[in-house]
Amino acid sequence: MTCERPQELFSAYLEGTLDPALRRAVEDHLAACPDCQALLAGLRKIEAAVADWPELEPSQALLARLSAIPTARKKFRLVPDILLRPSLQPYFAGAAVLLVFVSFIFLAPQGRSFQKAVNRQVHLGWSAAERIYAKAGSVTERLGDYRDNLLGSLRTLNILKESETEK
Amino acid sequence: MNAYAKRVFNLAYQFSGSHQEAEDQTQEVFLKLYGALPKFDFQRSFTAWLLTLAKNHLIDEYRRTKWQRTQRDDFDERTTAAPLAGNPQETLEREENRRLVWESLNSLSSDMRMAVILRDLQGRSYEEIAQVLDLPLGTVKSRVNRARLALARVVEEKRGGEP
Repeated sequence: MTCERPQELFSAYLEGTLDPALRRAVEDHLAACPDCQALLAGLRKIEAAVADWPELEPSQALLARLSAIPTARKKFRLVPDILLRPSLQPYFAGAAVLLVFVSFIFLAPQGRSFQKAVNRQVHLGWSAAERIYAKAGSVTERLGDYRDNLLGSLRTLNILKESETEK
Repeated sequence: MNAYAKRVFNLAYQFSGSHQEAEDQTQEVFLKLYGALPKFDFQRSFTAWLLTLAKNHLIDEYRRTKWQRTQRDDFDERTTAAPLAGNPQETLEREENRRLVWESLNSLSSDMRMAVILRDLQGRSYEEIAQVLDLPLGTVKSRVNRARLALARVVEEKRGGEP
């Protein structure tokens, strides 16, 4: 076992929160490793030294400065406190997301090109319809021509037949 | 308020190592506190919230300025206000160890220093520290352990380097 793993467990070992199997593993390693023994001894010294670490009393001058803070603050607030409650934050977040989506539809350049594309499609459709209409016109004209030709041919055929019977 | 002032002041003093700096930082923390009070969520513990505010302020301030100094105040009678029990030899040794710990704190990174101060100097539980640092319990435990190891190494180095 390298030293790294047992050293990770030193605090739990000293605090007595290690389960027995790991505790034995740490002790086995300690028995064979003088470096870790020295480190653990150092940790023990620190543990003893920091116990009951004294707390200082803040000076009277500092306390006076601190109690002067609330009156020194400006009374004016841009936003009423009730709007800053943390419980409202999800609603603000939701509203922000909604606004972003709305702005995509109304303001983003994609929105304008979308409109352009729609206009173009309508225009194309219109011109296609016109073309079909024009083609249909030429077809009726041609049909009319065929009909005239056919009638003309029939008439000549009749004339020919009559002249033959006269003979 | 005095009890809260004491806690913030001691945290700032132990973190910065300077009495003057600690007073200034405590005042700034309380200024921020009054500004942030409307945002306090009443479901949380006030002390944990205050300590989180103080911790964020101290670490930010430290990273921003590095406080232009690496030297901590002398470890003097102010820091050892509580008399130590036991025989004189032990007392002397413990006193010496306290001084070494105090002087070595600045060698730790700000995150590690904060963890070891909250756990060992202030005696907070891991759960409380997890709340203050806003970290998972496991991360807090391993950070405290790493900080202690680093501290022990620096202390031993100092002890070896001194005559």
